Amino acid sequence: MSNPMQGVKIKLTGGYVIHMEMCGEISRECNDAVLKAYHTILKMMREGEVKGIEEVVPTYTALTVFYDPRKTTWRAVSNTLKEVISESSRRSFGDVFTPKQYEIPVAYGGVWGPDLVSVASEAGLTEDEVIRVHTSRSYRCYMLGFTPGFLYLGEVDERIAVPRLKNPRVKVPAGSVGIAGLQTGVYGIESPGGWRIIGRTPLKMFDPRRVPPTPIRPGDLVRFFEVGEEEFRELKEVFIGEFKTR
Amino acid sequence: MSLRHGEVLVEEAFLATIQDMGRFGHRAKGIPVSGALDRVSAAYANVLVGNPSTAPVIEAVGGRIKLRFLGGAVVSVTGGVSEVSVNGVKVPMWEPLLVEGGSTLEVRGVEKGLTVYVGVSGGFTVEPVLGSASTYVRGGFGGLGRYLRRGDALQFLRVNHVKIFRNVEGLTAPKEVVNRIAFPSSPQTIRVTKGIHSSLFCNDFDIFLNSRYVVTTRSDRMGFRLEGPRLGSASSAGKIPSIATDRGYVQVPPDGEPIVLMSDAQTTGGYAVIAHVIPPDADLLAQCPPGTEVRFTEVQHEEAEEIVKKYLESLMNPPVDFEFPFSWGEVPPEEILRFR
Repeated sequence: MSNPMQGVKIKLTGGYVIHMEMCGEISRECNDAVLKAYHTILKMMREGEVKGIEEVVPTYTALTVFYDPRKTTWRAVSNTLKEVISESSRRSFGDVFTPKQYEIPVAYGGVWGPDLVSVASEAGLTEDEVIRVHTSRSYRCYMLGFTPGFLYLGEVDERIAVPRLKNPRVKVPAGSVGIAGLQTGVYGIESPGGWRIIGRTPLKMFDPRRVPPTPIRPGDLVRFFEVGEEEFRELKEVFIGEFKTR
Repeated sequence: MSLRHGEVLVEEAFLATIQDMGRFGHRAKGIPVSGALDRVSAAYANVLVGNPSTAPVIEAVGGRIKLRFLGGAVVSVTGGVSEVSVNGVKVPMWEPLLVEGGSTLEVRGVEKGLTVYVGVSGGFTVEPVLGSASTYVRGGFGGLGRYLRRGDALQFLRVNHVKIFRNVEGLTAPKEVVNRIAFPSSPQTIRVTKGIHSSLFCNDFDIFLNSRYVVTTRSDRMGFRLEGPRLGSASSAGKIPSIATDRGYVQVPPDGEPIVLMSDAQTTGGYAVIAHVIPPDADLLAQCPPGTEVRFTEVQHEEAEEIVKKYLESLMNPPVDFEFPFSWGEVPPEEILRFR
């Protein structure tokens, strides 16, 4: 069996951060490895098997561990991470984590999706075709971040994989659904943003007053379905954690 | 009067928020840590009024705030050097102050440093969001969910402030803590470790260490933008996948001018990270107003680990000095008596 640490780079910074890069480029396999390690280490933390690890953040290609130097050292944490990798690499994704599927209603185009027109014309499709392509598959949540509850989802059909806006918008409303290359995403809160906005979900995707503020975890699956104006109004502000598709 | 005990009215406030030591454990959901920009000063604002160092305090970037206490309290003002008064009478920073109900505390803006903290006995009682009182203005949650403004009424825990004052009277922060801000070195030296992408920067990492940078006005709680030699090699490194980020990460966007992420740092970012300002020095940077020159010096991770360990220990249990409020035999100055 090959060495599971092969290709894994461990970087130490700041005196309390260990950044474990699983591979150099974004791919489904790489994210599989990251999320297997992530869910393995979370389980170990829940079971009290690791000491001094405060927080773990998965991204597309890396796992970042914030540790408390009062309780542990980089050497001990690195050894734990090596164990995590060798343990998780032996197992399949489904063995480590059981993804939940979330159905998200989206009103496409118009005021909700000002970039649908340009996405369609660049893709050489009609707006309806873009919507059909976008709603035709379920996406993996690779990671959450930069702002609260922002979902990085992938990968979209290559036909609608259009680049970001040249000039990002100052304000993108919460719930906006966008495309950036092969990624699609949902804005959890209002923020600046450069993704091409094709629609908006009426659901409240992020609520800091709930624990957890979003139920969606890295590794879960998301599928979009189209709703009209009336349904949009009916579903306005329904928390994603309480939304059940009929 | 006793009914209003534990209440304070905001009469003036500028870039002021409620902060504590941060909101941890939710970064994988995209939720920033937030918390005080200068955690050392925030910790002292608390211990000087008898609180645990992690209690919520007011942070005022620029140090302009005016508060009216409806009931008595022990208060303290720490951080950037400012003129502070109670009912118009000048009072010292970094010391417990006993104020009577109806008193007005005013901080008139920083003369040195940048951020000012106001602690109150019992601590400000705001509803914690995900375990923290820290305000994240961009997300509209924590603290009051926004900057404080005139007319806001803040509550703090009702405690026996006179008894607390007896316990903390005469306490002050050690000189080296106060002097970080009162007598800043110029340029201010900020310690960094290598960042996650240091190796992508080739010679630029040496340029970064051997140059002076200036803090610009394009700085806020999310990040301090610096001006100085451009670090161009990062943009030639090609597209790099987004990574988890933190306070102290020094990002270099395509324009080549570094940004040091601060308390409201986004949780992930796609810019190359050249260096990582270690936590006590992120506190120092938080006291560098626009125009301040900074230079960076490298420490190794092992050394940084030891520094962070001591830093966290002292944040949780800040060492204090004790000074008699007045010399033995001397009649206490009138100003001190007024606040009894």
